Amino acid sequence: MTAENQESMIRLRDVNKTYFGAVPLHVLKGINLDVRKGELVSIMGASGSGKSTLLNILGILDNYDSGEYYLDGNLIRNLSENKAADYRNHMIGFVFQSFNLISYKNAMENVALPLFYRGIGRRKRNRLAMEQLERMGIADRALHLPGEMSGGQKQRVAIARAMITNPSIILADEPTGALDSKTSKDVIELFRDLNKREGKTIVIVTHDPGVAAQTDRMIRISDGVIIPGNLPPADGGESRICQC
Amino acid sequence: MKIAIFDIDNWKEILATLSRNKTRTFLTGFGIFWGVAMLAMLMSGARGGEDLLRRNFAGFATNSGGMIPSATTMPYRGYQKGRTWQMTTSDVVTLRENFPELKAVIPTYQKGSSTFRNGKDSYAGQLVGAESNYTDMLVPRLYAGRFINEADVAAERRVAVVGKKVATQIFPGIDNPVGKLVEVDGSCYSVVGVVGDESEIHLNGSLDEGVVIPASTFRRANGYGDRVDFIMMVAKDGEDLSEIIPGMKRVLFRRHDINPADDGAIWVINIAENFEQVDKLFSGIDLLALFIGLSTLIAGVIGIGNIMWVIVKERTREIGIRRAIGAKPRDIIAQVLCEGTVLTVISGLAGICFAALVLGIMQHAMNPPGAVSEARFQMSFGRAMGILGIFITLGILAGLIPSVKAMRIKPVEALNSK
Ligand SMILES: Nc1ncnc2c1ncn2[C@@H]1O[C@H](COP(=O)(O)OP(=O)(O)OP(=O)(O)O)[C@@H](O)[C@H]1O
Ligand SMILES: [Mg+2]
Repeated sequence: MTAENQESMIRLRDVNKTYFGAVPLHVLKGINLDVRKGELVSIMGASGSGKSTLLNILGILDNYDSGEYYLDGNLIRNLSENKAADYRNHMIGFVFQSFNLISYKNAMENVALPLFYRGIGRRKRNRLAMEQLERMGIADRALHLPGEMSGGQKQRVAIARAMITNPSIILADEPTGALDSKTSKDVIELFRDLNKREGKTIVIVTHDPGVAAQTDRMIRISDGVIIPGNLPPADGGESRICQC
Repeated sequence: MKIAIFDIDNWKEILATLSRNKTRTFLTGFGIFWGVAMLAMLMSGARGGEDLLRRNFAGFATNSGGMIPSATTMPYRGYQKGRTWQMTTSDVVTLRENFPELKAVIPTYQKGSSTFRNGKDSYAGQLVGAESNYTDMLVPRLYAGRFINEADVAAERRVAVVGKKVATQIFPGIDNPVGKLVEVDGSCYSVVGVVGDESEIHLNGSLDEGVVIPASTFRRANGYGDRVDFIMMVAKDGEDLSEIIPGMKRVLFRRHDINPADDGAIWVINIAENFEQVDKLFSGIDLLALFIGLSTLIAGVIGIGNIMWVIVKERTREIGIRRAIGAKPRDIIAQVLCEGTVLTVISGLAGICFAALVLGIMQHAMNPPGAVSEARFQMSFGRAMGILGIFITLGILAGLIPSVKAMRIKPVEALNSK
């Protein structure tokens, strides 16, 4: 049991989240979830089921109302904005569906930005950024602005930015949502590679069964609850998994 | 905060944001520029203007007054009302003895139409009888020689101090008439000095157009006995003349058997009171300048705050991205403040330079060579830095509010905003 605890990169216990809009909306209804270190998991579910909400909580971009969230053994609750920034910078790499690159900075500068907030000098961080871009295979676009790149290229830049701080975990919210199937495959291949070669823990939210099929484990979420009995997906075996 | 000041990327970023909307940046910058320039020009300009006005009174003792006897308006001790009386030289001595608050008691005489002659050249002007302490009241501009001194008065010397204009008229072609003789109403005097007006203030007509001789000589020449026409007094610094005058009147009235209540028996002028009005005018001008200056200052600062607000607003998403990758609140705030500060410093410096230029030109124009006193239009380095400092501090504070507010929203909300 303790050994298992040690291994958990993410550990959610009865996490609840309600949006208090015009009508209060209970989005996450007692989520329990464990993601082990070095795991590559996907989260699937219908639109509006709460996937992004969950991932934002995991990325400490949003807070939750009750329950417990442990990131690598640290309780993430009521953090000061400074502490949260530290976790985001040192432990988490976030990849967005809409890339979220800064439009007036070139690819290299975008990738280097997290290191700026770590206080690393310009030369060093630009060198490290170039290394990351090389690994993502887009070093030739280093001096291009996001507006001058294709969606796939932008997502590679975004992944390079997520990777540059050598985070413990990468969270990707529909990273292939804006990409064609060929490019999607390449991007997922990148994630698999990072997972296999560097042992990064990776959580990918996706609508694409093909993407989910590439992951070690698929987590299904429906209407704010996790459907139990998740198994490593056999190829195209989604329906069977749900019934287990 | 990282030592971002030395990071080129940081400067690039500031430049990028400021140049993204050039018109807006220019207008805000111009607001600051104008605010700084206005404040500097108004404050220094008001002082320069004051100096210019004060130049009119240069050499004149403002804490002063004068008295001239007049016919009595009340009967007293057997005298009928309507009696005329004269002040005397012993009145002057008594007043000097009894009023140590006074710096000087100055007897003077004047004769409106005297003729000054040198050979066939003559000039009709004012003859003034004065003692050496006349200069306590009004410092004349000395062109040559000297003014009347105590020995002249004591010895009733036949010496004359000639006005500049008189000198040029009756000693044509002579540079320095000191030592020459001048005929005043038929008697001969030797010229000991040439004087003129220092300022716009005249006591016994313009010094330029008259001749001054010792008071004692004046009395003798005109058969005045010990009579004194006009007494002027200068109070010491910090003494209130209006508190001294009643006592002086009392002494004079007692010595001349005049009803103590007879205000009409003497004509007194308190110049200090008039100058209080002038001082009030000056402080009014200062206040107005400060008010207008501060208004432009506030307008400028609101401009900065406004622009910072807009910059932060339209970059909410970018701020969200930065926070998602680990920017701390102080990083974000520092970035926004840097932008505001750069804008304020550049525009403010330009404003100060502009004001210095304008004031420098004023300084030059208003202080021709030979001006009596300096009109200080140019501002000091300290004042310039002070104004700039106030602007930058307020500008930074104005930028602080929106950036702190930007940190209040959650990163996820910032990321989802458009
Ligand atoms: N800021 C918010 N305020 C109020 N309600 C919200 C907010 N964000 C999301 N919701 C609601 O919460 C629910 C879950 O949203 P979420 O974005 O997590 O869904 P999702 O599973 O990511 O959907 P999708 O697959 O379409 O991205 C939705 O019904 C959504 O309308
Ligand atoms: Mg979503």
